[in-house]
Amino acid sequence: MSGRILVVDDTPFNRRLLVRLLEDLGHRTVEAENGRLALDVLRAADTEPIDLILLDIEMPEMDGHATLAALKADEALRDIPVIVVSSVDELESVVRCIRTGAADYLPKSVDPEILRARVEASLSQKQMRDNERELTATIERQRSQLARFLSPQVAALVSSADGEALLAGHRREITAMFTDLRNFTSFSETAEPEEVLGFLRAYHGVMGALIVEHEGTLEHFAGDGFMTFFNDPVLQPDHAARAIRLAVAMREHFASLSADWRRRGYVLEIGIGIATGYATLGRIGFEGRYDYGAIGNAIILASRLSGDAAAGEILVAARTFAEAEEVDGADLIAETGGDRTLKGFSRAIPTYLITGRRGEPADAPAAAEGAAP
Amino acid sequence: MTLDPAAMTRLLDITGGDQGFVDELIDTFIEDATAQIDGLRSAASAGDAEAIIRPAHSLKSNAANVGATALEDLARDLEGDGRTGDVPDAVARVASVETEFAAVRDGLLAERAAR
Repeated sequence: MSGRILVVDDTPFNRRLLVRLLEDLGHRTVEAENGRLALDVLRAADTEPIDLILLDIEMPEMDGHATLAALKADEALRDIPVIVVSSVDELESVVRCIRTGAADYLPKSVDPEILRARVEASLSQKQMRDNERELTATIERQRSQLARFLSPQVAALVSSADGEALLAGHRREITAMFTDLRNFTSFSETAEPEEVLGFLRAYHGVMGALIVEHEGTLEHFAGDGFMTFFNDPVLQPDHAARAIRLAVAMREHFASLSADWRRRGYVLEIGIGIATGYATLGRIGFEGRYDYGAIGNAIILASRLSGDAAAGEILVAARTFAEAEEVDGADLIAETGGDRTLKGFSRAIPTYLITGRRGEPADAPAAAEGAAP
Repeated sequence: MTLDPAAMTRLLDITGGDQGFVDELIDTFIEDATAQIDGLRSAASAGDAEAIIRPAHSLKSNAANVGATALEDLARDLEGDGRTGDVPDAVARVASVETEFAAVRDGLLAERAAR
């Protein structure tokens, strides 16, 4: 393995000899008379990278110790291996250099075979570190790309140690929430496609940020609809309360979004359904295209409640409301939504309608106060 | 004057017997040591112990390269004393360095002419 090696020594004799020996070994060399000039070479933007530095200790202007300290303090240079070249009576200095981060040392009366061995060892270490760094960068890039397609919780789960077991499928109590828009179908028929896309972009932007802020897991969004759940893959003991908090925040933010569209002549309203229950969660789909999904009665119920909710309503299953009330208590303002008969459910489902929350967090204080009775 | 012939043999050995290159190294040594001795001389006459350290250090390392062991010892002592801040008889010792260096230089050039 050959490399580009920087030889830093103030004595021309030593420099010339080292350069000659390195070139005999097939390496390319660059010379510098002292540490300051060496740093200039290393930091010059247009030069090829240096793979290894042979560094003298005693030098005018900037000695080996100061040079080594400057290298180690520089993010871009700290991984270039440094071999300290020293005379036998400088061993104390060598120890100090190795403590500061020098990779190795060579005696001044240099033996070509020892030079070859140390240089090659340092170069292959450097190569390994470079490969490792490249690999890490690739993984990071994949992870951040992945996070753009998956919800952050699922992206984290995929790269975690017990991710495979969780993805394979597990049962857990969750609170599921369906959000969709009234009049969206007629809006998308009458508005220009560019307008529909523009609206959806703004709507997804606002709702998506709220879901992330409330740490919900977004299962999917399709057009105007979102399915979000809580308590999985990250455990959240207050999942019912979290879902209601998110719903209230969504309704408030949607109000300012829809006011904008109302002025353009489009009346859009949000409807939200929330239910708590056991679900099976994990990888759903087929080879080549999997989603992290949830299956269970709670999901169907949340979907039906969202369908049954009138414009601007947050319709919550009584069980969810009871759990949220234990956490948020008097902050929750609600009224009974009556017993609802829903498709697929043989018995009527007792429900609550969430009016608002007292002392709403800072994300929309004015709207929260307005919602209080 | 001391000149250990093993040093020259070794230089020729590690450069694959490249006489031309070793001759260049000898020229480099003479040029460099001359400058270092100039530095020593002015530091000694100014009585500046600290200014002795660096030229003495470089001369020591240069002398070792060509096998000038006596010159190396003289330079090492000067460097050591320089670090303590007190170089006794500095002017006289630098004069000995000059004498030894002149002999080493002549020896190296004679050896080269004889090759």
